[in-house]
Amino acid sequence: MIKSTLAVAISSALIFTSPISKADWQDTLQAAQGQTVYFNAWGGADNINQYIQWAADRIEDQYQVTLKQVKLTDTADAVNRVLAEKAAGQDKQGSIDLIWLNGENFRAMKDNQLLFGPFSQTLPNYQRYVDENARQSLTQDFGTKVDGMESPWGMAQVIFMYDTETLSTPPKSMAQLLAYAQANPGRITYPEPPQFLGSTFLKQALYELSPHRKVLSQPVDQVDFKKVTAPLWAYLDQLHPVAWRSGQNFPSGAEEMMRLLDDQEIDVALSFDVSAASVQIDQGNLPDTVRSYVFQNGTIGNTHFLAIPYNSSATAGAQVVANFLLSPEAQIHKQTPTVWGDLSVLSYDKLSASDQQKFDDLPRGIATLSIEELGQTLPEPHSSWVSALETEWRKRYAH
Amino acid sequence: MPTKYRRMTTGLICALLLLPILAGLVGTLLPAFHYFPPLGENKFSFAAWQNLFSNTEFFASLKLTLITGILASIIALWLALALLAWGYEKAFFRPIENLLAPILAIPHAAIAIGLVFLLSPSGWLVRLFSPWLTGFERPPNWISVQDPYGLSLIFALVIKEMPYLLFVMLASMKSIQARDSLQACQSLGYGRFTAWRKVLIPQLYPLIRLPLFIVISFSLTVVDLALIIGPNTPSTLAVTLFRWFNDPDLAMRFNASAGAISLMLVIVFVLAGWELSHRFLAKLTRAERSNGKRRGLSDHLLSLGAMLACFSLLIGLLALVILPIWSLTKRWRFPDVFPATWTLDNLERATPLLMELTNNTLLIALVSTLLASVISLIMLEIKRVSHGSSQYTSNRPSHVFDWLIYVPILLPQIGFLFGLHVLLIHLNLNGDLIAVMMLHFLYVLPYVYLTLKNPYLAYHQAYLEQANRLKPCVWRNYLTVKLAMLKPALFTAFAIGFSVSVAQYLPTLIAGEGRYSTLTTEAVTRAASGDRKQVGSMALLQTLFPIFVFWLALVVPPRWTKWRLAFKSLFIRTTRA
Repeated sequence: MIKSTLAVAISSALIFTSPISKADWQDTLQAAQGQTVYFNAWGGADNINQYIQWAADRIEDQYQVTLKQVKLTDTADAVNRVLAEKAAGQDKQGSIDLIWLNGENFRAMKDNQLLFGPFSQTLPNYQRYVDENARQSLTQDFGTKVDGMESPWGMAQVIFMYDTETLSTPPKSMAQLLAYAQANPGRITYPEPPQFLGSTFLKQALYELSPHRKVLSQPVDQVDFKKVTAPLWAYLDQLHPVAWRSGQNFPSGAEEMMRLLDDQEIDVALSFDVSAASVQIDQGNLPDTVRSYVFQNGTIGNTHFLAIPYNSSATAGAQVVANFLLSPEAQIHKQTPTVWGDLSVLSYDKLSASDQQKFDDLPRGIATLSIEELGQTLPEPHSSWVSALETEWRKRYAH
Repeated sequence: MPTKYRRMTTGLICALLLLPILAGLVGTLLPAFHYFPPLGENKFSFAAWQNLFSNTEFFASLKLTLITGILASIIALWLALALLAWGYEKAFFRPIENLLAPILAIPHAAIAIGLVFLLSPSGWLVRLFSPWLTGFERPPNWISVQDPYGLSLIFALVIKEMPYLLFVMLASMKSIQARDSLQACQSLGYGRFTAWRKVLIPQLYPLIRLPLFIVISFSLTVVDLALIIGPNTPSTLAVTLFRWFNDPDLAMRFNASAGAISLMLVIVFVLAGWELSHRFLAKLTRAERSNGKRRGLSDHLLSLGAMLACFSLLIGLLALVILPIWSLTKRWRFPDVFPATWTLDNLERATPLLMELTNNTLLIALVSTLLASVISLIMLEIKRVSHGSSQYTSNRPSHVFDWLIYVPILLPQIGFLFGLHVLLIHLNLNGDLIAVMMLHFLYVLPYVYLTLKNPYLAYHQAYLEQANRLKPCVWRNYLTVKLAMLKPALFTAFAIGFSVSVAQYLPTLIAGEGRYSTLTTEAVTRAASGDRKQVGSMALLQTLFPIFVFWLALVVPPRWTKWRLAFKSLFIRTTRA
């Protein structure tokens, strides 16, 4: 026991000083053996939970590390827990070893020194397969510098869904969406901010409507928020009276939107999960006439990450887990549409020929778009925009 | 119960209750005044309050909370009294009494989901009449759930609270000798409702005052129910605070703490206002009650209430029926009345998880409720002994326990529990099963104590004294005479405690840190994602166990002696043979 803690201490000390070598990683592997990693991850989707269970079994076999998922309704709960632990002086035996997060939650943890690291750039699979230049979101998490404090896990992009039975040409821009709602009152809506998909809808609209696109990558307090967002509120003021339930209610998230689409209460649903439509058709939650599409000028996309709290008692085990989840095996399994369908963060060019083939061979569900069809990805605005937009939205529409 | 170290035990129990409460309170109070070292804030200020009072959403939420919470409590009380007055001791009332237990035992989240599915524009009611009657090929653009006025939330609260009140009233009926009074009134020519209004309800009210206060504070602070069926622009204050506590912007915690303190004050004001209004009303109606008239106009309020109560029970039952259907569904589109494709896949997929959750749920509920029952008995005995001979329910002096017991259930869970979590971490009990059980105990104890209190104190101590004179085995007599005679109340209290434990969401989540999930925490996680099929499977099980315990509470006490004697005679016969 003392030996393994010592090893953890040494290996983590090394991480700070030098780029990791094979020997260091061996130490980490050794220290990790027998550790239990409590992985706090949003638990609202069965297929994701099952994927994590699959990974836990593989990790147990390969590395003798036990991975236990703690299912969260809201990732902020985990941030709060680490904070409460810090408040109580629990600096060594924290209850969380790994968190699935991005954006605001990452910024909150990084700013409050609640994270262990940097560690991600020293993971063997990161060094071997990740190309940091491939996407801005790999190094800039909603405008916050990643700095090796979190390890990429997957990528997401906003997609829209509609039922080809009821709708022949879906609206492909914010302007068309409004025109559609005016012609068909009550059939268009979006999730309620601060739910992240709802905030994303606001950002998407802002990108399309505001003439000042460039400033969105700056912290919000450095720009004229009122001027930049004025077209957004004007748009929403027009949309809400003709929206679902007259804009008095909003769905809680993607899952509820798909349910409403299935119930035919609404005509267009959105999701941050590119394979959502295929998965839900498979489970009988959507009719098989539903298809996905994206807006003409692109939709918002981002990367989601894994981070280790500063007080984790199993930092070695957590790194082993993060490294495994970056392996081609885990990423291919994750991108399988019937498993999860979450996009890989690995660089295609850096993969071996056989792994490339495996990616090529992945079946796509009938309603999933290909990488080319997904088209242009709009970057997330700086993470400070999220809470500014949410606060303003709630001030305007939530009373 | 022979109580020796009365003073010491009182102190111990007080500490057991007060310490976590105080820790939780301090943990909420300090951040409300901007003192929270982990965020680098160690200077007191009123900034949080300024922010709170300049926040329009706070006031809108508060208004909604007051309207829904108070209206729901009034309506629930009205309907429960009306139903009782209408049906008490009538033959056809039995089935309704039996219906109470299942509705009472169902977790709020499950009932809310059932109601949403029943009442929403694409819900079962609209499906039943579409398209042949309504002409709807697609669901109409109505706001029949989550309406901005909170009507659907009030409805859900009433469905949830009315059975609880009715249950408590039925348990208290013996202590006010309702049957005798009713017969006396009727032989004097009073109408049934008039007799209730003038004679029985005024006697009943003091006995149910405490449960009623619980109902009011629950209605004002509930989170899960309001999340699902309540409006969200704005939401009720408890939900708004819940969101603030969970906001990634950690500075929102200060506002949330200040808000939690406000919510606590609001509850105090509402309860005080309620009590004052009751006294005022009682004074106002005193003349009318004793004017000797055999009928009165307001009797109609009771008959209308009885009808509404039956209606809402029926709706509650329908909501119950729908959930299991969903767990067996593959495809079920609007406007089909029943699923087009059925499947067992949903249940099969969930089985291993359901086993684990059931294990946790039962273990936590049984341990915490048993502990709460024992401690309640000790507390009540101490209270009884310290007030000696006074046998009258109305003017019995109150004991320290009587106000102490309120505190955990009157404090809004969200504000109180975060502070407590910090204490648990200090004790290294975070994420520990014992911590979960203790926190459940804290919430179960008040319900058990309050349910048990009146029957226990109304007990005719002479039976026990006589037994002690005949055979001086105090412990044995206490068990075989007093507790045996109190069986119905004991079983009822246990069943209520058990279902309270099963339904706990936030305490389980915060003490268990997600390492110990129960059927409820899992169901709420899934309810948030809107997956009706999974929620259906969870709700099915989550409902099953409390119903079973409630059923036992109804069935066992009256048959206990018969079974015991049968068992005994069987035993004697076999030993003779």
